[in-house]
Amino acid sequence: MSRDRGPVGERAVRTAGLAATATLVLGALTGRASAHAGSLGGSVASATVPTWLVVLTGGIVVGGTFLFTTLLTDHEAMRGVNWWRVSLSTPVALRRTVRIAAGAGSVVVLALVVWTGVTGTDDPTRDFAVLFVWAGWWAGYTATTYLVGNTWPLVNPWRALVAVGQRVLDVADRRALGATDRLPGDRAADLPDSWGVWPAVVGLLALVWVEVVSPVGEDPQLLAGVVVAYTLATVAGGLAFGSAWFDRVDPVSRVFAAYGRVAPLQRTDEGLAVRLPATALTEKPLPDRPGEIAFVVALLWVTTYDGLVATPGWETAVEPLVDAGVPALFVYAVVLLAGFGLFVGVYRLAARRIRRAADTYVTARAIERWFAPALLPIAAGYHLAHFLGYFLGLSPALVAVTAAPLSPPLNTAVAVLPGWFGSVKLLCVLGGHVFAIWVAHSLAFELFPGVVAAIRSQYPSVAVMVFYTMTSLWVITQPYGPPPFV
Amino acid sequence: MPRKDPALPDPDVSVPTGETPAGTCPYCERPFRSEHARDLHVGEQHDPTDHEGERYEAALEQERDDLWFFHAKAVVGLGVTYAATVILYSAVIGGFF
Repeated sequence: MSRDRGPVGERAVRTAGLAATATLVLGALTGRASAHAGSLGGSVASATVPTWLVVLTGGIVVGGTFLFTTLLTDHEAMRGVNWWRVSLSTPVALRRTVRIAAGAGSVVVLALVVWTGVTGTDDPTRDFAVLFVWAGWWAGYTATTYLVGNTWPLVNPWRALVAVGQRVLDVADRRALGATDRLPGDRAADLPDSWGVWPAVVGLLALVWVEVVSPVGEDPQLLAGVVVAYTLATVAGGLAFGSAWFDRVDPVSRVFAAYGRVAPLQRTDEGLAVRLPATALTEKPLPDRPGEIAFVVALLWVTTYDGLVATPGWETAVEPLVDAGVPALFVYAVVLLAGFGLFVGVYRLAARRIRRAADTYVTARAIERWFAPALLPIAAGYHLAHFLGYFLGLSPALVAVTAAPLSPPLNTAVAVLPGWFGSVKLLCVLGGHVFAIWVAHSLAFELFPGVVAAIRSQYPSVAVMVFYTMTSLWVITQPYGPPPFV
Repeated sequence: MPRKDPALPDPDVSVPTGETPAGTCPYCERPFRSEHARDLHVGEQHDPTDHEGERYEAALEQERDDLWFFHAKAVVGLGVTYAATVILYSAVIGGFF
């Protein structure tokens, strides 16, 4: 019988024999283990992971993700994933109705914010203006722009006000000119092209500085004042410069536009399309305007800065300076600008290294512009980590006060988050970096010929990302404290 | 068959003064630092002639070899990283650090 089995048969018998032996051994060991567990009495002690290990794990995950993506080199398959979409076409009539309704609704909400801010109470957790602007809008609504889609052009109250203002001015002009059909030419003045998007960069840095150093986050009257000033500036700018204002100067609109590119829901010429998150970044390049790259880097930096100034380490570092007499506002401003410069410098250096690693003639500037979209998921992940807890904690108060904004209840509840919520924040930061690695990988394949050059080109950016992940995770794990000395 | 993503523009190139590119694309004049890169580019983004197609295949062959070694290193790297992480965690949670 054994003579008939042949080599395949021999192997089968050997495998069967091995399997049987393994099962017996396993059975013996299992028997011993369960006896051991029984003697433990069912008590389990939970171990805490020290901060340095959490931070290190973040770096390992990001580096490991890169190594994993280098195994995925089928260009067609990558494009299949990145270009996949489901188109939703929306009828034009519906779009117009929705636009008018959304615009009207948003202006009503803006008026309500200003009113409740001016007549506000001392307790910020009872005030509609403070809760709506910071918890509802800046935390919650911003999260929808990168989790769902950028709806800001639709619900932007200032855009609606500018549209109304333009209509009014058109009617006034028509009356002045007499009942002729000749309307004045395009009223919008031209912003100098050389300024590019830099006004929005300056605006974003200024906005974040004001938000950090002033009590605009708790003082309803101050918030109402800032909102009114912003309304006047934006409406004037929008009437003077047209939609270029919202594209190149208004930091708020640009922030939502930037975050919106990470989202699954994207606007196309035919209507809307649903794509995989972050894949829209692999297709639309950054326009070639001054300041476009700086804006993306600034968006990344201000989310880090916001977290950095709330850490105990910041207070320890700033205290000797403030004690020595340096004005705290000045310290905050200098660090804001220096950090921005540092981020821009590191990004430029990484682009130069990428040029060398890929052995290419593509200019460092073109490389900077090409890979800048990959930074946006990092900013989105960081924003979510930062603000999700804030939003969830204040959401009961927000809901209670929104139900009766003009006469808020005397006691509003604040949700206390469970201990494991810290892990959710870490996952948000890590998730942002993992998506960024995928986007950078895809972009490298579209830029450099072949596969090996594309992979090698990513070494500098991955090194930066690993370091940046570890720093962000360290900031996230620090206990939160309000910015000191301001 | 052109495989370039039509939505993405051609990025700027600059050749440092005093240097001559090792290869230039005959269709779009792009300079490359190696003939290998040029051959891959022509095969990927333009309609290659028979001779260029052969060079493209040879370049792909070279890439496949290089990639095999790289992938082997990447897999080993992933394995070692994973093992080291698990051991590190068990040491920390076990109270070793």
